[in-house]
Amino acid sequence: MSTATIGMLYGAGTLFVMFLGVPIAFALGSVAVVFMYFFMPASSLDTVTQNVYEEMASITLLSIPLFILKGAAIGKSPAGKDLYSAIHVWVQKIPGGLGIANVFACALFAAMAGSSPATCSAIGTAGIPEMRMRGYSGRFAAGIIAAGGTLGILLPPSITMILYAVASEQSLGRLFLAGIGPATLLVLLFSGYAVYRYKKEYQLARLAYDAGGDKSAYLNDETFTLREKLRILPRVLPFVILLTGVMIALYGGYATPSETAGLGALLAFVLIAIVYKIWRPRDIKPILASTLKDSTMLMFIIGMSLLYSYVMSYLHISQSAAEWVVHFGVSKWVLLAAILVMVVVLGFFLPPVSIILMTAPIILPPLRAAGFDLVWFGVVMTIVMEMGLIHPPVGLNIFVIKNVAPDIPLHEVVWGVVPFVGLMIVAVLLLCWFPGIATGLPSLVMTRN
Amino acid sequence: MRAEGGLGQLPLQNESPAPRPRAESRLGLAVRAIAYLNDKLLVLSMIALVLGGAILSLGVLLRYFLKIPTDWQDEASVFLLVGATFLSGAYVQSYRGHVAIEAFAHLLPPGVNRVRMFLVDLIAAAFCGFFAWKSWTLFHEALVDHQTTTSTWSPPLAIPYGCMSLGMTLLTVQIALQLATRFTKHERP
Repeated sequence: MSTATIGMLYGAGTLFVMFLGVPIAFALGSVAVVFMYFFMPASSLDTVTQNVYEEMASITLLSIPLFILKGAAIGKSPAGKDLYSAIHVWVQKIPGGLGIANVFACALFAAMAGSSPATCSAIGTAGIPEMRMRGYSGRFAAGIIAAGGTLGILLPPSITMILYAVASEQSLGRLFLAGIGPATLLVLLFSGYAVYRYKKEYQLARLAYDAGGDKSAYLNDETFTLREKLRILPRVLPFVILLTGVMIALYGGYATPSETAGLGALLAFVLIAIVYKIWRPRDIKPILASTLKDSTMLMFIIGMSLLYSYVMSYLHISQSAAEWVVHFGVSKWVLLAAILVMVVVLGFFLPPVSIILMTAPIILPPLRAAGFDLVWFGVVMTIVMEMGLIHPPVGLNIFVIKNVAPDIPLHEVVWGVVPFVGLMIVAVLLLCWFPGIATGLPSLVMTRN
Repeated sequence: MRAEGGLGQLPLQNESPAPRPRAESRLGLAVRAIAYLNDKLLVLSMIALVLGGAILSLGVLLRYFLKIPTDWQDEASVFLLVGATFLSGAYVQSYRGHVAIEAFAHLLPPGVNRVRMFLVDLIAAAFCGFFAWKSWTLFHEALVDHQTTTSTWSPPLAIPYGCMSLGMTLLTVQIALQLATRFTKHERP
């Protein structure tokens, strides 16, 4: 049987088992084992477990449960609400300041927690009611939180980037740094849109009021005294220091990524104990249980995805597919566009973990051959996968927002995120034109180091 | 619905544990027994997770402040975190927490969907059973041959292999019980 036929059978078998509804980890593992049985030496079946263990026993990969633990500790505390309140009182003078406060709170919280849904939930719980109370439309409020939450997989410590670093054999430190510029760009784009949208809704509220209608909450002025502004800081500064400390430990050469994860998790527990008095076993147990639920599910997918990729490589499926793509003779930008469209489509069904680990062996060699910087591509791919978290008709963050703000109809949430999907596409295009947005910071820092 | 997952704190697809059959049946006893075991192993996994994080943090302090080499810390953390992962696998499955694509589940007629769900559990149980079997073989070899890691610390590989074997066995039993429960439920509505 030719490699192409085996490859097609492999793909079809995977799709069948996955769409049947078999958990992704077991689906990938079972397809790999069946193909090992039929197309690989019999002895290969004896090494299945050893392969999975050796792939999983990577200290870089095993930083994932600890980053999740850090995120869960912060996510289960009221830190998100306090962070949002602090930014709000400091930027409320700016037109659309409330929207901007939400974007910045999402970005900072995402950097601490490393999770998009957790960010949406933590900031949205406080931010959406506040925005609606001040007259913001449900559509706008939902959109800005859903989009702000996606920054979680772009900013360090992004689990998506850890996996990409493993799959593409790129420097994790470089990838983490490469995400910061594009994340800042997205924060600016989202904030710019918040100002524009605020002004538009403000004008409509003013016109309606001048025409004799009800006074919208938009038209109410709100001021905070310096004392009020300073009073909120002690509750959030420790977390900002944690964020900064973790970055210094990582990039100052004091700790490896896995040590940073351990240190970050431990410090997060110390901080929630001091600031929020969350230290009793009955408080800590749900955090640990939630971490294990998420990390175990994720590590099983990672382990089986790596087994799946190993079989694909052994059977020369990935190499043949990559060669086929290279020999197709399309321009590098068409190749990139085709790959990104594929990532978007896969994002409808699969979590980023599986997309990265399953597609990396096929898509990375042609991209490397076409001259793309794989660190840069990792960032672009991450932004595209971020879109998968919010783009209609599906997207995890949309449903998280629906849970946080059940009074906002689903179609309003969906329409609310559309402008942000557009802004993300703009960000991807800007990254194509100015790759330095992503590669500039790592080049600067890593060269110095 | 799309498959959720991949990014840290993710909502599980089904937060409620599988329905338990009648208490007096053997199946009910087995379900309760594995639930008890899962709870205990979850606590053990929690301890392993915290210890893993603590060891890595300690490593930084020992290396930078006390200038003590910490060549053991990575392997100790790997053992603990791999152990925590496999030992909590059955607990996660008890909540159907291993994510799947359920896109077509709602489109199928109830009868066809029941067959689909049966097949899903059957495939998952078969795979996990195979994996558990091969894990025990690996564990046995590591134990008999006194296999260790290649580092200077060289701890026995039987430790993580043992966790993997036990975890995958429990996971297989958990899925098999869920399958049986589903079957029983339909047989005796």
